[in-house]
Amino acid sequence: MNLFTRALAPRATAHAHCDIPCGIYDPQQARIEAESCYRIIEKYAASNDELFRARCIVVKEERAELAKHHIDVMWHDYFKPEHLEKFPTLHETCWKAAKQASLVKRSLDIAEAQKLLDLIDKIDHMWRETGGATATRMQAAAA
Amino acid sequence: MEPTLRDGDWLVVDLGGYVRAAPQVGDLVLARDPRATERLLIKRVAASRADGLMLAGDHAAHAPESEWLGPVAREAVIGRPWLRYWPPRRIGRVSQRRI
Repeated sequence: MNLFTRALAPRATAHAHCDIPCGIYDPQQARIEAESCYRIIEKYAASNDELFRARCIVVKEERAELAKHHIDVMWHDYFKPEHLEKFPTLHETCWKAAKQASLVKRSLDIAEAQKLLDLIDKIDHMWRETGGATATRMQAAAA
Repeated sequence: MEPTLRDGDWLVVDLGGYVRAAPQVGDLVLARDPRATERLLIKRVAASRADGLMLAGDHAAHAPESEWLGPVAREAVIGRPWLRYWPPRRIGRVSQRRI
């Protein structure tokens, strides 16, 4: 942006998009995908079947991408400025988690999958401390 | 808010626009999002109710959005968007079309 347009740029941003935020958030969506990655890496390592191992890689990449998507939803849609005040490491944690999901996508190192789980658990902690399931999940009907 | 507004439009907002006269049905408003007050919205007043204003976008495919947004307090209205000054090819008054 050059000097001219910078001088003219608006001071505030308003949203006019017709989005429909459903208000339902839970880091467990990301964790389930990350757990899949973890287990798939274990199964990959335990198998000698090349076809099965190839399938493991394909499915793990899908799951890692889904984990990254769910991390991004928490980061972009759920967390708000007041949450950042409470947890100053919020941005860094979400950023690292998204990066870690990308790493797990291309890695077969189970230690990297565990790091992803640990980072998602940190996001989960911040979610619980800022309202958690009470604020962002529906209660299941009693069986 | 298409076709009235497009992503990236730069607007001038009259912060006193609704001090002199309250927003009417069909008016564009800049208001605080009742779900997250640090977030600003530009919408059109779809209805004026006792508990606040019902706001909606112009895009026909998203018409029922005022139902999930809920009533917006009149105090949450910040101003009246009236001029688009960027991009240059679309400079002009923003439509204050009545619904």
